[in-house]
Amino acid sequence: MGLDIIVGIKYVPNTTNVNIDPKTGTLVREGVPSVVNPHDLVAVELALRLRDRYGGSVTAISMAPPHAVAGLEHVLGMGVDRAILVSDRVFAGADTLATSYVLAKTIEKIGRYDLIVMGQETIDSSTGHIGAQVASWLDLPYVYYAIDVEYTGDGFIVTRELEDRVERYRLAKPALISAKMYSLEPRQVTLRDKLRAVIERPIETWSNKDLGLDPNCVGLRGSPTIVSKVEFTPKVPRKNIIFEGDLREAVRKLVQALVEEGVI
Amino acid sequence: MGDRFDVIVIGAGPAGSSAAYNLAKKGFRVALIERGRKPGSKNMFGGRVYAKPLEEAFDGLGKAPIHRWVVKERLSIVNKEEYVTVEYTGRGRKSFTTYLTDLTDWMAGRAVDAGATLITEVVVDRLLMRDGRVAGIVSGDDELEADVVVDAEGVNRLVLERSGLVERLTLRHVALGVKEVIKVDKGDIEKFFGLGEDEGLAWVFMGSVSDGLPGGGFFYTNRDSLSLGLVIYLEGAVQGMRRHIYDMVEELRIGPLFSRYVENGRIMEYSAHMIPADPRAIRPPRLVWDGLIVTGDAAGLLINMGYTYRGVDTAAYSGMLAAKAIEEADGDYSASRLKRYEEMLRNSYVGRDLEKFRGVHDLYMNPRLFNEYPALLTGLLRRLYEFDYEGYKFSKAFSEARRGLVSLPRIFLDLLEVYRKL
Ligand SMILES: Cc1cc2nc3c(=O)[nH]c(=O)nc-3n(C[C@H](O)[C@H](O)[C@H](O)COP(=O)(O)OP(=O)(O)OC[C@H]3O[C@@H](n4cnc5c(N)ncnc54)[C@H](O)[C@@H]3O)c2cc1C
Ligand SMILES: Cc1cc2nc3c(=O)[nH]c(=O)nc-3n(C[C@H](O)[C@H](O)[C@H](O)COP(=O)(O)OP(=O)(O)OC[C@H]3O[C@@H](n4cnc5c(N)ncnc54)[C@H](O)[C@@H]3O)c2cc1C
Repeated sequence: MGLDIIVGIKYVPNTTNVNIDPKTGTLVREGVPSVVNPHDLVAVELALRLRDRYGGSVTAISMAPPHAVAGLEHVLGMGVDRAILVSDRVFAGADTLATSYVLAKTIEKIGRYDLIVMGQETIDSSTGHIGAQVASWLDLPYVYYAIDVEYTGDGFIVTRELEDRVERYRLAKPALISAKMYSLEPRQVTLRDKLRAVIERPIETWSNKDLGLDPNCVGLRGSPTIVSKVEFTPKVPRKNIIFEGDLREAVRKLVQALVEEGVI
Repeated sequence: MGDRFDVIVIGAGPAGSSAAYNLAKKGFRVALIERGRKPGSKNMFGGRVYAKPLEEAFDGLGKAPIHRWVVKERLSIVNKEEYVTVEYTGRGRKSFTTYLTDLTDWMAGRAVDAGATLITEVVVDRLLMRDGRVAGIVSGDDELEADVVVDAEGVNRLVLERSGLVERLTLRHVALGVKEVIKVDKGDIEKFFGLGEDEGLAWVFMGSVSDGLPGGGFFYTNRDSLSLGLVIYLEGAVQGMRRHIYDMVEELRIGPLFSRYVENGRIMEYSAHMIPADPRAIRPPRLVWDGLIVTGDAAGLLINMGYTYRGVDTAAYSGMLAAKAIEEADGDYSASRLKRYEEMLRNSYVGRDLEKFRGVHDLYMNPRLFNEYPALLTGLLRRLYEFDYEGYKFSKAFSEARRGLVSLPRIFLDLLEVYRKL
């Protein structure tokens, strides 16, 4: 019966390497390598497992500048069938509303799909809004923190995991889910799939010429969010005390110091 | 898989990129397979490349990311806070400093522009063997066939090991290199070292910097950063090592030799890599098999001249020669046909210099080079230069500095050895 799945991919700076310029307060992106948002790889993994189980196809979409092609090549190397880069200068500077609008319109243009899978959140903005907003634009049912999906032909039974319980939902298709981060181990790139990605290049680039969206609804102009101020959490001064000597004695001193500090 | 390649190259380092470029240029269908996210992401070196062989291998340096042309060379013998430095300033323009990550990316880019198919993020697990000859490669569950394979996987040659073609690496085969890249103001670099806009300094040092173990340190000026690191020979060092090598590098950075240059700097990068040690030990028994050619570090082609390492230029050159041999083999990739590669290599500057400097490794195994002699040299100069009223006669200063360190005949023999091996 085949499942046609769309996965959302964000190409993000590898934040463990990111430095903040202390003067301007902006990210120093110069020379910082980008990667596919690691939580989106979980979404890809879930989508690929569903395709392997039920047949069908997986299409990855990403709204990003052209360099995100490398990220799409990566997921194609994992086994994704087709990728679409949505890229246009007018899309730049988007907040979540404008981002989700473009993604929703992209999905509409793709047309045929049964399921949309998103990551739980990104590592560079972490709002977790995009999934819900895309579902809202498309008027679809959605469930977050999904760890498994069963396809029933006319819909899905989605298992989601919360901190204290596991819930099961029945959704009509098409539907949107976000994959719970860390719930699956993303597969490695394989030679076969990577070779196909570089030789057949199943990557399309869509600009606003293809989507034809009102410039007032996309990018910076379509973004009502205003970042009024960015503050950094102050650096907590460290005492740099090293407790040396016999282990028991050192631990006793450590505990004593913590008590004196009022920490425990 | 439906796609067939004439040649598969394992590893998009300097050797692999050069092989791929020179083959693609001649119309071969080449797959260049690299395990890193992009070419260069897994490569590391000290800091300078000799230009001419590279220029030959890539038909010019074009847009290569050259930081500074080395015009100044320094060699320091270090004994704790004291050091003796020899400096040479010349016309330069023979070697340049760069980031190997960027240079490798450029080299692989040349291969891609020439028509090679670059496949990143894929690890080759082993060679595909058919009827006793190499017929391609295996990665995970996938096989890819080709008429001939070029192994350019670098010093940690697991593919060759797994195929039983070379013995496993031991401490005798490799040294360990660690490096910090420290961002500093471009103008400061030029001011500190008296350099022009695109001029650079290469600096090596020996002695107590490696805790008296065989090895040494290096320091290179990049465009707006400094590369500072250490190489330690692992054979024998394992017992002798009293602390982590990165603590040793840290001490160098904050020590008297370098602290003033880096105090306003910011550490951008920290890396570690293996480096071929004893060229005779690491060289595979042969460099060609039926359907296979081994190049670069995997073939042990690093030259240690004692005061400088050359591995990037030799790797690129060997890649070029491998491409030539494949072209000349004219479809017959048997070992006897590919032997041309070994022959061309032996007769090239790579083979000649490897032969010339093969004794350097033995020199390095002489502990006096890193302990007694630095102490003697600094002790001598201290006596000659540092006094209040009365100075030393050279002979007196020398015999005092030498006392308890080394005997005269020993010095004589060691000097003879150095003379013979360099
Ligand atoms: C207050 C605020 C102000 C901001 N202002 C700006 C600004 O002025 N300029 C600017 O450039 N950015 C700005 N951003 C960032 C921008 O809004 C977000 O990066 C972007 O909209 C995606 O949101 P997110 O990263 O939080 O995604 P999340 O909602 O956390 O992502 C959930 C999932 O949605 C999918 N997804 C997310 N982004 C994409 C994408 N681009 N393509 C495909 N799938 C995707 C992924 O599957 C992801 O795992 C701002 C963010 C915030 C919170
Ligand atoms: C500390 C240090 C300082 C040095 N200083 C200098 C110097 O100043 N000047 C100089 O000329 N040389 C220097 N060298 C030596 C030089 O870096 C090497 O000789 C040179 O990089 C060798 O090139 P190569 O292409 O043979 O191997 P590498 O540069 O190691 O490239 C091998 C490539 O193969 C890839 N690979 C490995 N295995 C696989 C696999 N199974 N599947 C797919 N891909 C694989 C790797 O990711 C890598 O990209 C130094 C080395 C070190 C460690």
